[in-house]
Amino acid sequence: MGRVVVERVTTFKKSNEAFWWSLFSAGGVMSALFLPVMVVLCGLVLPWQSGEGDRRAAYEHIHGLVSWWPVRLVLAGVIALSFFHVAHRIRHVLIDLGWRHQTAPLSLVCYGGAIAGAGMTVWLIVSL
Amino acid sequence: MKRRYCTPLGPTWFLGRAGYRRFMAREATAFAMAAFLVYLLFLLRGLGRGYHDYLEIIELTKNPIAVFVLSLIFGAVLYHSFTWFNLTPKIMPMYVAEEKVPDFWAAILMGYLPWAAVTAVVLWGVLWWSG
Amino acid sequence: MSRPMGRPSQSSIRYSGPPMPAETITLDVFRFQPDGDGKTTFQKYDVPYHEHWVVLDALNWIKDEVDGTLTYRWSCRMGVCGSCGMMVDGVPKLSCAAFLKDYYPRAIRIEPLTYFTVERDLMIDQEGFLGKLKSIKPWLIRDDDQTPDGGEYLQTPDQLASYKQYSMCINCLLCYAACPVVGAEEDFIGPAAIALAQRYNLDSRDQGAAQRADALGAEEGVWGCTFVGECSEVCPKNVDPAGAIQRAKVDSVKTWYKKLLMPWGGS
Repeated sequence: MGRVVVERVTTFKKSNEAFWWSLFSAGGVMSALFLPVMVVLCGLVLPWQSGEGDRRAAYEHIHGLVSWWPVRLVLAGVIALSFFHVAHRIRHVLIDLGWRHQTAPLSLVCYGGAIAGAGMTVWLIVSL
Repeated sequence: MKRRYCTPLGPTWFLGRAGYRRFMAREATAFAMAAFLVYLLFLLRGLGRGYHDYLEIIELTKNPIAVFVLSLIFGAVLYHSFTWFNLTPKIMPMYVAEEKVPDFWAAILMGYLPWAAVTAVVLWGVLWWSG
Repeated sequence: MSRPMGRPSQSSIRYSGPPMPAETITLDVFRFQPDGDGKTTFQKYDVPYHEHWVVLDALNWIKDEVDGTLTYRWSCRMGVCGSCGMMVDGVPKLSCAAFLKDYYPRAIRIEPLTYFTVERDLMIDQEGFLGKLKSIKPWLIRDDDQTPDGGEYLQTPDQLASYKQYSMCINCLLCYAACPVVGAEEDFIGPAAIALAQRYNLDSRDQGAAQRADALGAEEGVWGCTFVGECSEVCPKNVDPAGAIQRAKVDSVKTWYKKLLMPWGGS
């Protein structure tokens, strides 16, 4: 007896995921390169400096550093792109944990948050 | 009417295999990193406002809970870096004169070497440079 | 005349053949009949243990000597045809490549590949995969149709090396059974399909990357993948579909930006 095979025609949904993934990748590289040393600096070195003089000097030094525009550019790039990196990953973790329907609000919150974070980063660095 | 059977994907699917657990650990680093990024925003704000505001933020990390959280964040950040650089040769294989560079060396050239360089430059710039 | 001999079996299947050897191993096998009540069960079989036997040998022994109703696919018995994929103790494996001695003396649980609809016992429905495979056009696509009189398409060893790994895929579907996205998203085209698309996209003789771009660049294409990487872990031919998919993502990104920045551009 013959077998009738019904082919399910899938119309592929066009996706702009490529754009978010490119930001995720760039942010992934930046965060992988820069975040470890920044955690060490902000969490270990700077807080535990002994002596008021040392701390004052550190502040003046860092403030001077970030007034230099190449440093501002790199800092803004690293932090802003890292926001997009974590937003994309968090969105996918939530999808993996079961949020597979009504994903539009999820995307809005995640990428909206990243845009807000990146925007805040640029504004704060510019107004240093 | 033929009956069919299909294994469903359970809600705790990521605990089922070692590979799935490693995957979820890697993805979960994003939460720790997001927290640190928010902290960085506060730090930037403090830097811009003046010495005492800067000090306030920096001092935050000295209390024991913060130390504990930061060590978790540090672990997450390191896990992200290691997994990222190890996977980079799979995403962008390195070719030198038509020959594929083995993943091990590609990871070192494209990832670990730049990481060491960036770390050295940032540490030097923040701690020792007096221009 | 013939009576069950050897170790008493927990199964209700009565074995009546030559005496069983002293060493046996138990296979706990998933059973499902589509024309029955739809219930799934596990059936234990005690099979002779031989050091050189694989799970497929054990299944063939069961079918020949004990229970002819057990249904499963197999062919080459040497890991090149891709027919005998199944879950062995919860891990997707080729039954011809899973040695009994790696499990002995524990019992071995045998199930059909996960995330697939089961037709019967250990046999899964492959139609869905075949449709997905077809959607990425797994054949050489040329702008010009050269006839054999025109000669062969020439290819250097380096050009062959750039896609050869992806051509080793035997469509065994172990990668689909390892991929959580396959389990969660019915339309995700899956690791093997994307690896095979890459096999053709990277082939210097092929000119059809643009024709595959829609399928690959879709939500159901490469963007369903979250790089869990289990597919490459279970692949018996070291195809590394996970790597193929990530490279396809990079290509898809390049295409996306090209379309955005140069919408007038050609293919």
